Amino acid sequence: MTTRALWRNRSRPQETPDTPPVKPPVAPAPVAPVVPLDIPAGDPLLAHLQANQSGVIDVERLALDSPGVRALRAAGVRLALPLVSQGELVGLINLGQRLSEQDYSSDDRRLLGNLATQAAPAVRVAQLVRQQQLEALERQRIEQELRVARLIQQFLLPKEVPAVAGWEVAAYYQPARAVGGDFYDFIHFPDGRIGFVIGDVTDKGVPAALVMATTRTLLRTTAEQLVAPGAVLERTNNLLVENIPPKMFVTCLYALLDPASGHLTFANAGHDVPYRRTAEGVVELRARGMPLGLLPGMQYEQHETTLRPGECVLLYSDGLVEAHSPTREMFGFPRLQALMAEPTDGNLVPFLLDRLRDFTGPAWEQEDDVTMVLLSAHGDGGPGDGREVLARFELPSRPGNERRAMEQVAEVVAPLGLPQIKLDRLKTAVAEATMNGMEHGNKYDEAIPVLIEVAREGDDLTVSITDRGLKQPIPEAEPPDLTAKLAGQQSPRGWGLFLIQNMVDEMHVTTDDVHHTVKLVVHLIAGGQRGSTE
Amino acid sequence: MSVSASQPNIQMHVRQEDGVGVIAIQGEMTGFAEEALMNAYNEASDGACPVVLLDFSGLEYMNSTGIGLLVTLLIRAQRQSQRLLACGLSEHYRQIFDLTRLNEAIGLYDSQAEALAAVAAG
Repeated sequence: MTTRALWRNRSRPQETPDTPPVKPPVAPAPVAPVVPLDIPAGDPLLAHLQANQSGVIDVERLALDSPGVRALRAAGVRLALPLVSQGELVGLINLGQRLSEQDYSSDDRRLLGNLATQAAPAVRVAQLVRQQQLEALERQRIEQELRVARLIQQFLLPKEVPAVAGWEVAAYYQPARAVGGDFYDFIHFPDGRIGFVIGDVTDKGVPAALVMATTRTLLRTTAEQLVAPGAVLERTNNLLVENIPPKMFVTCLYALLDPASGHLTFANAGHDVPYRRTAEGVVELRARGMPLGLLPGMQYEQHETTLRPGECVLLYSDGLVEAHSPTREMFGFPRLQALMAEPTDGNLVPFLLDRLRDFTGPAWEQEDDVTMVLLSAHGDGGPGDGREVLARFELPSRPGNERRAMEQVAEVVAPLGLPQIKLDRLKTAVAEATMNGMEHGNKYDEAIPVLIEVAREGDDLTVSITDRGLKQPIPEAEPPDLTAKLAGQQSPRGWGLFLIQNMVDEMHVTTDDVHHTVKLVVHLIAGGQRGSTE
Repeated sequence: MSVSASQPNIQMHVRQEDGVGVIAIQGEMTGFAEEALMNAYNEASDGACPVVLLDFSGLEYMNSTGIGLLVTLLIRAQRQSQRLLACGLSEHYRQIFDLTRLNEAIGLYDSQAEALAAVAAG
């Protein structure tokens, strides 16, 4: 770093911004231009200057020939004063001929030597201050860039996970400090199917975030047109190839789930292979394909399977499997696969995160983004599950279909032998919730079904009713009050939610960007009954 | 919204007995029943009948919209200084009348005979 500076020829003392003003000559004299001097790095002159600490060098008498020396001579430099601070050459004062055209006296040389000795540390301090200012600016720039990258990513990632009867979706995303290019997305189709996307852009920071934003948009628009995962990846790849910076690419997995049947279709563009947990063990969901954005005209294998109740599929990014322990051991695929096979009480994601933290230790500096998307089919009463799906069906959103919903649910729960009064109350709650879903959620669009799942969870009977409510709350702002209604202060209508709440033991509402699920709970054991005969 | 996609499964039989307009409801009390109910009510209260009795013994299903219709009916009855009575409710719908406090505004009886006897007794 001592050699990349621009050495300036001061053929006469004059003010410059870099050095304190030198006392001006008494009489105004013609001002010679400052000639910039470039001394190439590695020039032997530099070594010579550094070795001649604080000595005044007579350029004419230098027993050296190098581009640097020639440049000094050509610029008319007579004396060169190396500025050396703590053994390091930090600058050079160059003097041309004296204005009197006399030679420099030995007094002059001593004075100049002292000047150089005192100026060197001051110049060094100034250089350090300037360097620190530049570094601080650079740090600020990097921080700002990270903030922007994080903002882009967080803005584009889904705010909520899909809430669909019979399924549980969990998502986890933890960006590394440098913000990698991980992303995930959920695409909702009018027929109730849901697309699951997980991807990883090579590179980090703002470039990765911008490519991620582009890929996400391309995937969304393509998925809405083509639906089939293989075709979606193929077209996205062709579109992305033309719009991606060189040496960047995107790995991506796209899976399409039909929640009513559990049917899953998927294709993979070079992303880490998802794991599926089945009763028989943990298996990979393999499909071959090149990452997106590398080469045009790529084909993507498409595979399909049907997820059975109690099964789950984990989509994840390499930040998880490539995490390192303090002893530089890698987390790795076999470990992940083995952990997925372990019985877990609740959600697999917190379990895996705990194991990851155990592995990396508390002082782990996360190397890359860690992303997981878990898709779980509710259980069917397998060992230790405690949950049994009794039925899952769809009904078109047509006025009057709430009666079909209540009759079908009644048929499904008949073997449970609910007391008639309790069954009637459940039927009313189911009808009201279905009606709300068809009317307020699906706007009575027959193409959009309501999804109904009946399940037994331990001592509870649950009925979950899902519509595509698009976050519109059920318009029932205040609890209905008959007196107010009769006095004309409330609409005569607005009894639906009130009825639902009072007909069952519990009611839970969950929503995502698209779906709205009402879960009705009836306690099957007597102790849990609530005022069925008030 | 106006619903006309399905056939309304509702029939109203209206008669006058001892100065009481009796409406026997057969089928489903939903939004589809609005026109039939209001027509029946007009017919039953014809001649400024002071009491109207709704007989729910043929009721197959009533939803929240149906309850809303009863509230509308109650408002009209109050305006015309008429009394509204109901009979023949199943235990389930009786509970719903309790819950919604419709039982405080509509006199409930087990049967038509019981309701008519109560009216006759003044």
